[in-house]
Amino acid sequence: MRRTFFLYVEENSPLYRLHPLLKILLLLFFNLEAWIIESPTVLWLSIVGVLVLFKLAKIPLARLLKFLLFAAIITQAIMFSYILGSKIPGNVVYYEFPWGTYVTDRTLLYAFSMVGRFMLMLVGSTLVLAVTRDIDIIYGIISLKIPYALAFTVSLAFRFATIFIDDYFKVRDAMILRGTALDKGGILERARKYVNLSIPLMVLAVRRMLELTYVLEAKGLNLKGKRSYFYEFKLGSLGIALALTLITIPILTLFLKMSYGLFTFPGWPFNG
Amino acid sequence: MASAPVFGIRQIAVTAITAGLCLPLALFAIILVPIPGLPAASGFWIPAGFYFVMTLWFGVWGALGGHIATTIAMGYFFGYTLHIWMDGGLGDFIAPIVALVIFKLLRANPELKEKRDYAVWIVSVMIASLVCGLWVHTVHLLFGIITWPFWWVGVLTYFIGDTLAILIVGTPLLKTLTEYVKQSPMYIWK
Repeated sequence: MRRTFFLYVEENSPLYRLHPLLKILLLLFFNLEAWIIESPTVLWLSIVGVLVLFKLAKIPLARLLKFLLFAAIITQAIMFSYILGSKIPGNVVYYEFPWGTYVTDRTLLYAFSMVGRFMLMLVGSTLVLAVTRDIDIIYGIISLKIPYALAFTVSLAFRFATIFIDDYFKVRDAMILRGTALDKGGILERARKYVNLSIPLMVLAVRRMLELTYVLEAKGLNLKGKRSYFYEFKLGSLGIALALTLITIPILTLFLKMSYGLFTFPGWPFNG
Repeated sequence: MASAPVFGIRQIAVTAITAGLCLPLALFAIILVPIPGLPAASGFWIPAGFYFVMTLWFGVWGALGGHIATTIAMGYFFGYTLHIWMDGGLGDFIAPIVALVIFKLLRANPELKEKRDYAVWIVSVMIASLVCGLWVHTVHLLFGIITWPFWWVGVLTYFIGDTLAILIVGTPLLKTLTEYVKQSPMYIWK
């Protein structure tokens, strides 16, 4: 088993062994496809397809359960927005609001499509991120010919995020040990206490910033010129074919949508 | 002629630390204070207080850190990668730069020593939050994620939520820590 950002995955998982560039292209692929497609049938069938990929890639579906709260928050947000605030023409008007918007049969279908679009992005991104390591981010960004400095910065951001979560709990516990009752008082009182918590956090951040500068300078980090890398990833002919496929399919989807009206809302079987 | 900004070791440190600090705060803000009807938004955008202050101290690299944090927090963990990069991520990059430009133009002091500095701080935060709110919700509208009646609700809640968070979190940070931060070589107001 190998550790990724989110979980442990089997080393022989085909997705885990993908070239970092392909992982990033796959992430973009899911998000672009979800953005282009409007048809609820195609969106939800694609979601089923991605769930099958979870199985084939030997990634536990339980990982998705952790996102249920986020999915619920976003689903309610989309439904709320469309039911209360849209004017989508349909065959039957179910309810008309005093502020001029109304709910039709197509309103619910469109909201359902938007939820499908979000869910495809969520499950697709989760699938890719479940097999992504921090080095994949750096090597993937570098493969896209984006400067090493930016790739290194993003990687550091991920590392420091976990460090600052630890810092937050340490500062909070220290304040509690010195008698601060963070859970007592009104909203403003609590907000004031949390603001007090932000000051030591910021001091730690500035101190770490200085230390990081000294460490990088002491190690002689060179951002210009050609670099050598510890890991070497080979794309291979199969990888190149997969990369071309991941680039071509969204372009083809967009072309079919613009030229022939495929993948548009409402799509099969809701036309007519 | 002004020279182009250099992306060296110091700038990497400012950007990475700001992003690392704001990333968990952005996640906390989305989970703790969600807004019904507006995906991946928060009524109290806690990280804004931090990256606004970082931008005032260290320049555009603080804003870039805020942008990376927002993009990753809302996109990476919430599945809205492309939309949010276009939307909240860029908005959160623009907003602190607007505040920094106003601060520079009016020659205010981030230490907030005089009443004038406070006035510039409050006004710059309000203008920056409004600009960002308009950008974010117009893009959301164009993507079809929110509907027209929720556009102004979004702009208003964004304006209030961001302004309050930045003023409540950012003001004590500027007041108490600018003196300490001035000693660092990355501070831009020397």
